[in-house]
Amino acid sequence: MVMKPIRVLIAKPGLDGHDRGALIIAQALRDHGMEVIYTGLRQSAVQIARAAIQEDVDVIGLSSLSGAHKSLFPKVVEALKEQEAADIPVIGGGVIPAEDIPYLESKGVAKIFTSGSPTDAIAVYIKQLIHKETVQTPNKIAHIGIAVESIDMTLPFYQHTLGLELESVEEVDSEQVRVAFLNIGETRIELLEPLSDQSAIQSFLTKRGEGIHHIALEVNDIHTRLEQYKQQGIPLIHEEPKLGAHESQIAFLHPKAASGVLYELCQPKLEE
Amino acid sequence: MTRSSNYDHSKQAWEKDVEKTTARFPERKSSFITSSELPINRLYEPAQSEEQYIEEIGFPGQYPYTRGIQPTMYRSRYWTMRQYAGFGSAEETNERFRYLLKQGQTGLSVAFDLPTQIGYDSDDPMAEGEVGKVGVAIDSLHDMEQLFHEIPLDQVSTSMTINAPASILLAMYIAVGEKQGVKPEKLTGTIQNDILKEYIARGTYIYPPKPSMRLITDIFAYCETHLPKFNTISISGYHIREAGSTAVQEVAFTLANGMAYVDAAIEAGLEVDQFAPRLAFFFNAHNQFFEEAAKFRAARRMWAKIMKEHYGAENPKSWKLRFHTQTGGSTLTAQQPDNNIVRVTLQALAAVMGGTQSLHTNSRDEALALPTEDSARIALRTQQIIANESGVADTIDPLGGSYYVEALTDQIENEANEYIERIKKLGGAVQAVEEGYMQREIHKAAYDAQKRLEANEDIVVGLNEYQLDEEIHQDLLRVDEALEKAQIDKTQHVRNTRDDSHVETCLEELRNAARSNENVMPFIVEAVKAYATVGEIANVMRDEFGEYTGM
Repeated sequence: MVMKPIRVLIAKPGLDGHDRGALIIAQALRDHGMEVIYTGLRQSAVQIARAAIQEDVDVIGLSSLSGAHKSLFPKVVEALKEQEAADIPVIGGGVIPAEDIPYLESKGVAKIFTSGSPTDAIAVYIKQLIHKETVQTPNKIAHIGIAVESIDMTLPFYQHTLGLELESVEEVDSEQVRVAFLNIGETRIELLEPLSDQSAIQSFLTKRGEGIHHIALEVNDIHTRLEQYKQQGIPLIHEEPKLGAHESQIAFLHPKAASGVLYELCQPKLEE
Repeated sequence: MTRSSNYDHSKQAWEKDVEKTTARFPERKSSFITSSELPINRLYEPAQSEEQYIEEIGFPGQYPYTRGIQPTMYRSRYWTMRQYAGFGSAEETNERFRYLLKQGQTGLSVAFDLPTQIGYDSDDPMAEGEVGKVGVAIDSLHDMEQLFHEIPLDQVSTSMTINAPASILLAMYIAVGEKQGVKPEKLTGTIQNDILKEYIARGTYIYPPKPSMRLITDIFAYCETHLPKFNTISISGYHIREAGSTAVQEVAFTLANGMAYVDAAIEAGLEVDQFAPRLAFFFNAHNQFFEEAAKFRAARRMWAKIMKEHYGAENPKSWKLRFHTQTGGSTLTAQQPDNNIVRVTLQALAAVMGGTQSLHTNSRDEALALPTEDSARIALRTQQIIANESGVADTIDPLGGSYYVEALTDQIENEANEYIERIKKLGGAVQAVEEGYMQREIHKAAYDAQKRLEANEDIVVGLNEYQLDEEIHQDLLRVDEALEKAQIDKTQHVRNTRDDSHVETCLEELRNAARSNENVMPFIVEAVKAYATVGEIANVMRDEFGEYTGM
């Protein structure tokens, strides 16, 4: 199917005259096959909303470097509402302190890209936003993985002290680990014991000692999700899913992606 | 230059060594280039004969001033340390000024908020959300009096980053001086007053180019008689560079703009040697150390030649390119902001090697927000360390005679001259700006740079290499949102307590002058003294001159 090109309005609200960033984004989005209209400097919120409607754009990108974003960006969202065009999403960028992002999002700005965001990531985000490909939230925490020297030595605490039910113990040869699953509420705790020195769990234990190793998120779109993460430049350990315990499909994100936390995506085997 | 056979012999031996070594250890890149895409040779050799030295480089304080405009440079006096500051209300900025002076800063530099820079009062609907954000809000003389409270204007020099409404803010400065008992002829400082680069890169224009050029020549003429020690314009490459130009484009477009102002002033009937000594320049300093140092040296030599040879100026003061430098805001990263201190140090050093007359060093947190007091102090200390501890100020032009730096200086001059020729063919800088020529050239350079960065061909530490997983954001300076309301109240109070009929008369007289060919400056001075506001004065001229609406 040939889709018609995404139309983008890049706008400079307020009095700020720095449009190097806005011009670069406009050019980069054009290079991604989008049709981009740039408003020029000093546009009021009403002017921007009107231009967006007249030009029939799919998304509006706002840029501000003067510190006036907290008052100007929400006004554009308001002006769109007043002109019955609230369906046009608004994204923004410029010099915007991280603390201001929740406020702007609460006022209806879909996403803020701060200084240093690669232009490709912005283009990919817009494509996903417009083609409704934005990822769903993961279903739940599938399990919390804990690295241990010995499952047998650790089990009594979980089974007897906490009183959890042991669901299964199995060996995953490919990973050189033995795993034990304990049920807790709608999730599970996974104990991981290395079977050899080649095991990643062994190197974890050598480097950091026993403790929390990873958090697994249950998803049901692991293939498309990995593809999207890859496009967004999220560092991945596995670019393709592989077979995990209980015949699930799993993939790990690189801890760089999440401030040092190792996340696993986990798609359980489809029940027959 | 002819070489001895001994020289050639040594050189051949070295070339053989290079061949052997590179066979085993290839060089890091197949070719090395500067940010302006000038090729960087492996090695530079002696190139200059004595005659060439005298003609192209010369001695400090002598034409063509490649090595500096003073005979002793920093051995007599360090450069002026002038930190750009201003935020929120006039009282707050006054406090920051007095703090900086106490810390050893030697000149003031005022940042105005965007409404002031575009000629809107704080209560204008266009100003909403912008009051006091990127600089201090000035509506009436009352604000200006607070800004310089207890700062004797005969003892500091003040630089004001103001362009389209430069005449209004200069008039206010004159009026504050008079109230302190300081005569206009004693006032020293600089107004930026460079409208062409606003159309090209910075965006705070009000009127179309032609009446804007007239305002500028009115200021030249007025200052020649009344403020002989004031720099009437600071022709700025800074913002051209920040918008993404190369070093060569920065020099070329700035000097081309400079020539447009000289042309306009001559056309308005001024004598070149009357106003040219009061022209000042303002450049950027980025990270590529040698290219930047060479850029300043090339610009100085080019301007000297332009003024002497092209315009026939006879006063050596007209030949001298005096400039302020600010380190490159766009080179700073929001990631690992402390690294910016190191970038600023390198850039400041390049400016000093280039013989700058004054310097602003950026604060480490400028990619995130306005600088905090701590960051502003470290930035000033950086200059003080370079001046007092490094020893680089102890000899004149220490890079002079470096084969590499001299070659770069020549190349930058040549390439910038090619641009200037192209602009001349387009009909001069005003015409080139109106056609968007410079804007397009800059945008192309900016986009290429962004692509190189995203392809990891250019490395910015902490941004696309050597990142940290966790970013700790330190305390940022936030402008109090309540300030806008307070500023509006203050201005409305001024309006309620002044003599309105006197204001009306002053504005009407200004309107008549704007319509005729009369110099508007004396009328603006009278209007500000009557407490007419920036917006009211700017609006009279908007009515008469029209507004520029962009490309």
